[in-house]
Amino acid sequence: MSIIDMLVRVDAICKKFDKYDPSKQHKDLNINPDDHFLQLYTTMEAEIEATVKKANEAAEEKNRAAVATMNAEIRRTKAALREEIPKLERLAKKKVKALSPEDLAARPDLVVALAARIDDIPEGTMMGAKKKKKIDKSHIEIKIDSAAADEAFRSERYEHTAESAAYQEEFQHRKNKQDQNLDIISEGLSTLKNMAEDISEELDKQDPMVGEMEEKIDKATGDLTKNNARMKEVVSKIRSGRNFCIDVILLCVVLGIAAYIYK
Amino acid sequence: MGDIKHRDKENDPDRMMRKGDKLTKLSLTRWTSDWARATPYYEQAANLFKIAKKTEKAKEAHERAAMGQERLASPWHAGKHMESAGALAKELGLWNEVADFFRRASELYIESGKPQPAAEALSRGGRALEDGLPDEAVKMYLEAVGIFEEEQREQMAFDTYRSATSLYIKLQRYTDAATMLLRWGQSADKCKATSTQCKTCVGAVIVYLYAQDFKQAEQCQNDLSMIDAYFQSEQNRFAEQLLNAYREGNPEEVKHVVKSSGVINHLDHMIIRLAKQLPVGDISHLAESSGAGGEAAAEGLEEDDLT
Repeated sequence: MSIIDMLVRVDAICKKFDKYDPSKQHKDLNINPDDHFLQLYTTMEAEIEATVKKANEAAEEKNRAAVATMNAEIRRTKAALREEIPKLERLAKKKVKALSPEDLAARPDLVVALAARIDDIPEGTMMGAKKKKKIDKSHIEIKIDSAAADEAFRSERYEHTAESAAYQEEFQHRKNKQDQNLDIISEGLSTLKNMAEDISEELDKQDPMVGEMEEKIDKATGDLTKNNARMKEVVSKIRSGRNFCIDVILLCVVLGIAAYIYK
Repeated sequence: MGDIKHRDKENDPDRMMRKGDKLTKLSLTRWTSDWARATPYYEQAANLFKIAKKTEKAKEAHERAAMGQERLASPWHAGKHMESAGALAKELGLWNEVADFFRRASELYIESGKPQPAAEALSRGGRALEDGLPDEAVKMYLEAVGIFEEEQREQMAFDTYRSATSLYIKLQRYTDAATMLLRWGQSADKCKATSTQCKTCVGAVIVYLYAQDFKQAEQCQNDLSMIDAYFQSEQNRFAEQLLNAYREGNPEEVKHVVKSSGVINHLDHMIIRLAKQLPVGDISHLAESSGAGGEAAAEGLEEDDLT
């Protein structure tokens, strides 16, 4: 990670968590600590902005799974924010010291505007904007959502048809079979591991033995070569050409003497 | 008589023996035994007797050959002959002689300055004696193991440890078997053979449990968990599970732990046999005693909380 990357990331993180920094809030917005309405309002506004940013990121994201998760999160934040609205309304009606009467009158309008902004946050649905208008109609709406799989299961919108129940059963069955096969593989692997460990120990045992053997054999080879050379020397000395000639001459002399005696 | 004439002179073991005896027996004409010439005859005779399956005579021939080699100051060869004689004596079932021969062989090896073959000879002697004189066999194994440990050649000792352990288990001397396993573990530790070490440690715990000595087993497990190599192994986990099952006094749980663990299959087969027979005896009393203890401890805690 380069320094530039790090700086950018640190800045983003600081910005994200600035809203939790009470000193910063006081400094930037000069909020009266008793003015709970304004505090809550500013926090909600900051959250809305963050959510809008996230929504923009989601719009640009190519990976559908990531898009789905982002949208799910956005929806969750929206729901949380919507819950805060009644609280904000109550606080709006309270009187605060350093506030002018016009500001006080303006506050409920601010609350309504904030609620509208929350609803405007795109959550990946095309029908989000129209939802408010159609809210008094009683028929069930079909929403084309890129909802995550477990979200769909969790929400009670879908009921099990015969097909989906069978599908789920088969899914479980196949999963169990996979688990069984994985168990078999794991057993085989553990046997292999044990065998490999035993082999490794045997090799450790035999390594010094082989070294000793090598030494001894080298010594024996050296001794043999030495002895061979000596033997060769001795044999050639005994059977040298000169001795052979002397043997032949002496033999002739003996034969000559014998012939002379018998003649 | 006809076939003796047809038989080649060189292949007649009795003739060889006679020649050897002639050279060694003292008489008026012969004042010293000529072992140098006699020994090859004895050796040949021994081989031929063995081929002819005349065990008694072969044994005798080996004995003489060994004596000859000894006189010729080659204790190594003498030791070899003694071992062969011992093996033949085992076939004849002369257990005392077997023990004597192998002991003598080992002494000869030590004389020739080779302690490792000496220990191996004792180990082989022990194996030969297992059926006949098991106590003697045990003694020989222990001696062999001692020599290996002295010579720092523990790696060669593993087979001896194994034979000794299996003999102890056969003789139902379980505490001795567990002690032998722990000694084996110690040797393995010295050679850094961690896999063997862990296996032997678990084996010891299992043997103690089989002997219905739960306290010993627990103590053993506690001591062993101090060893790093053992502590991190799956054998340790298995032992802990087993002991927990025992503490709960639940035989079904014990059987389940033994069956479902992959560790058991890689141990020595005699230990596997013991493990499959766990739990031995009534372990429910362990649950009562440990359960009562546990409850008292829990009550003590609650009282502390109230104050």
